[in-house]
Amino acid sequence: MIKKSVQKSLLALAVGVASGSAVAADHGNSDVDVSIILEGLFYNELSSGTSSPEGFGDSGHDHDHDHGDEGHQHGFEEGFGIGHSELAIDAGLGALLDGRLLLGFDDSDVAVEEAWVKTRSLPAGFQLKFGKFLSDIGYANSRHNHSWDFADRPLVNQYLFGDHGLQDVGLQGTWQLPTENYALLGVELLQGQGNTFDAYAEQEDVLEEQDSGPRVVTAFMKYGPDLGADHAVQLGLSGGYANQYVGGYDKHFHGTEPHTTAQIGSSWFAGVDGVYKYSSGKAYGEGDLRITSEYFYVARDLAQYSGDYHEEDGDYHLEGAIKGDSYTEEQDGFYVEGVYGVLPRWQVGLRAEALGLINEKWGGGHDTELDSLDASYKYSGQITWRPVEPVFLRTQFNHKDFAGDDGSSNEVVLQLNVALGAHGAHNF
Amino acid sequence: MLRLFLFFIAFLPILNASAGEPVRVVVTTNSLGMLVNEIAQPLVEQRQLELKVLASPGRDVHYLDARPSFMAAVRRADLLIDTGAGLEEGWLPAITANAANPDINSGQPGRLSLAASLQLRPSITTTGPHAGHVHRHGNPHFNIDPLRMAKAARLVARRLGHFFPDQKALLIKRSYHLEQALKQTAEYLSEQLIPGQRFIAYHEDVDYLEAWLPVQNIGYLEPLPGLPPTSKHLRELVEKHQQQEPARVLYARFNPDQGARFLNERLGWPTYALPLEPETPDWNGYKELLQVWANAFEQKS
Repeated sequence: MIKKSVQKSLLALAVGVASGSAVAADHGNSDVDVSIILEGLFYNELSSGTSSPEGFGDSGHDHDHDHGDEGHQHGFEEGFGIGHSELAIDAGLGALLDGRLLLGFDDSDVAVEEAWVKTRSLPAGFQLKFGKFLSDIGYANSRHNHSWDFADRPLVNQYLFGDHGLQDVGLQGTWQLPTENYALLGVELLQGQGNTFDAYAEQEDVLEEQDSGPRVVTAFMKYGPDLGADHAVQLGLSGGYANQYVGGYDKHFHGTEPHTTAQIGSSWFAGVDGVYKYSSGKAYGEGDLRITSEYFYVARDLAQYSGDYHEEDGDYHLEGAIKGDSYTEEQDGFYVEGVYGVLPRWQVGLRAEALGLINEKWGGGHDTELDSLDASYKYSGQITWRPVEPVFLRTQFNHKDFAGDDGSSNEVVLQLNVALGAHGAHNF
Repeated sequence: MLRLFLFFIAFLPILNASAGEPVRVVVTTNSLGMLVNEIAQPLVEQRQLELKVLASPGRDVHYLDARPSFMAAVRRADLLIDTGAGLEEGWLPAITANAANPDINSGQPGRLSLAASLQLRPSITTTGPHAGHVHRHGNPHFNIDPLRMAKAARLVARRLGHFFPDQKALLIKRSYHLEQALKQTAEYLSEQLIPGQRFIAYHEDVDYLEAWLPVQNIGYLEPLPGLPPTSKHLRELVEKHQQQEPARVLYARFNPDQGARFLNERLGWPTYALPLEPETPDWNGYKELLQVWANAFEQKS
C-alpha cells in the first residue's frame, strides 16, 4: 500500500517536473506538491579540541549511523560537502488526509526521514498522524535543518535524542482545545527504533529480548496566547518514556572465561520549550526578532546485567543473565538563541548552549559507580543573507568548550540552502 | 501501551459548539472583514456572528507567521474566508492543515476562497520570468479594486446565507446595497481624476487601480514579483522613462522606499506610500482607503 502510493507520488513528481515549474510552484487544484531543498556546505575547523562532549558518546562528527540504511551525513566534514538535502512530496487525499514523503540525501545515501499521513477530517479538534515522523516534543525536534536559524542541530537535541532528533515510526494523536488561546495536547506511541533516547544494542547473545514495541511513549502540550499584531509566543512542555534501554554492552574475558555485561533498564525525559517572535511589520524581515529556548532532562534507570558462558562444540553459549546493582544516569541540556533582522534580507543570530549541567554517567567496567562529569558549552554566531525568499547564504562561527581532554575548539561553517518547487508553509 | 492510548483517545470529552453560540467567521484581511461586517451588520450587533480578522492592517499578507493565535481562531471557525490565488500561501496552509477543523477544509461550506470565483487580473508571473512564486490563478490583490469587491460581496452574502438560512434575503439585500455603494464610490472618485495618468507600482498589487481609475500602470520597481528592486532594474526604468511624460511611483507602506526615492531623484516623479488594507474592517475604513488611493493622483480642479 505504502509502496503503491510512493510509486504514485513519484509518477506525480515526474508529471510535475515535465509540465514545468508553473505547475509545480502553485498549489492550485493539483493535489501534489514537490519541493527540493539543496544544501551546500563548507566547513573548516579553525582550531581543534575535544570533539565529543564528555559523557555523551560519539554522536556528531563523522559518525556512522548504527541503524543500517541511514548513512547520510549530518555532522560536518572538513571542506566542501553537500550537507543535508531533501526531496519532499506533499499530497492530500481530498479533505480527508494529508500525506508527506520526505527523503533526506547526500551524495551517496538516501533515507526516508518522513513518510506519514495526517487526518484533517476528525471532529472536535482531534488529529491522528501515522507513519514515520519527527516527534513534536520540544521546538527544534520537529523542524528540518533548512528552517533552523543555525547550520547545526542544538546540542541538547542531538545528544539526548539523536542526529535526527526523536524521529520514529508510530502514531500521534493530538487534541486542540476549543479555547480562545491556542492549546494543544498530544500523545505519541513510537516503535523505539534505537534512537539515542531508546538505544538498544543488538548482539548475537542478547541478555534480554527486545520488547515487541511500541517501546516509546511521549506526551506534549503547547500553549500560545494572542498577543496582538507585533508579538507572538508559544510555550511547550513535553515528556517521554522508553521502556527499554540497553547500553554499555561489553563482551570480555576474565582470564579465559568469556563474560558479557550490559546496562539495561528504561529511560525517561522531561523538557520545556518556548519561542517568542517579534514582527516589526517591515519588509523582508527587517527588525524581526525571534528568540527560542529549550531545556531537556533525561534520566536512565539502569541495572548492570552480566552473564557467563559455557563452551559447547567449540562455541560459547550464554548461560543466562544476572541482574546486578541498579543506578540512575542523569543528563540535561539547554540552549537559548536569538535571531534579529538587522537589514532587509539580512539576519544575525547568537546562540549559547550547555550540555550536561547535570551529567551523572555510568563509569564503565563492573562497577555501578556514577561519574559526575563536567558540562560542555558551545557558543555560535551567524550571519544569514536571503537574496530571494527561497535561498539563503549563512556564515556561522562556533566556539566549542566541550568537557574532555583536548580543550576548546573553533570552527566556521558556510552554508548555501536553496528551496526549489512548491515548498509548503512553515509552522510557527 | 497501544490499548492505553486508544482508551485515552476514545474517552476524551467531545466538545461541540452548543446551541446559542455565535457563528464564528474568520477572515484573513480587513478588506474581507469589511465585507462580512457590512453584509451581516445586524447579525454582528446581535452577536449571532463573531468576526475575527487574522492579518493586522499594514502587514504584508504574503509573509505572515502561522501563529498559534491564528490556529486557535481557525480551530473554532465555522467559516473561513480567504483571498486565495496564492496570497496567503506562505502561512494559511500550515494553519488549515493543523487546526483540526474539518469544517473549513476546501470544498466545505465553511471555506470560501474568494479569488477562485472572481475574474482576476493576470499575474505577470504566469507569462514572464518568476522567482519561484507563480500566481497561476492571477494577481490576488483584488481588494484594491472596489468593482471586484462588489462581486466578492455577493459571494460572501450567499455563503453567509448558508449559516443563516432565515436571514438569507436580508443578507442578499445588504450585499446589494454594499455593491451599489462600492460602485458609486468608485465611479465618483474616478470622475474626480484627470484621466490618463500613469504610474509605476512597487509590486503587482496597486496595479489593480487601473481596473477602476482612469490611470495606467507602466511598470514595476520589482524586477520580478517578490524580488526587491535591483539597481540595474531601477536604472533601466529611469532610462526607459526619462524621455517620456512624468508619472508617479506607488508603493505599499511596508515596502522599503529606496526604489521609489531613486526614481524621484532621477526623474522627479512624486512618490506615494499607500496602505493596502483598511485600518478598520468596515465600510468607513474601506471608503477612506479608496479616497487615499485616489488622492495619489491629480484631481480635476
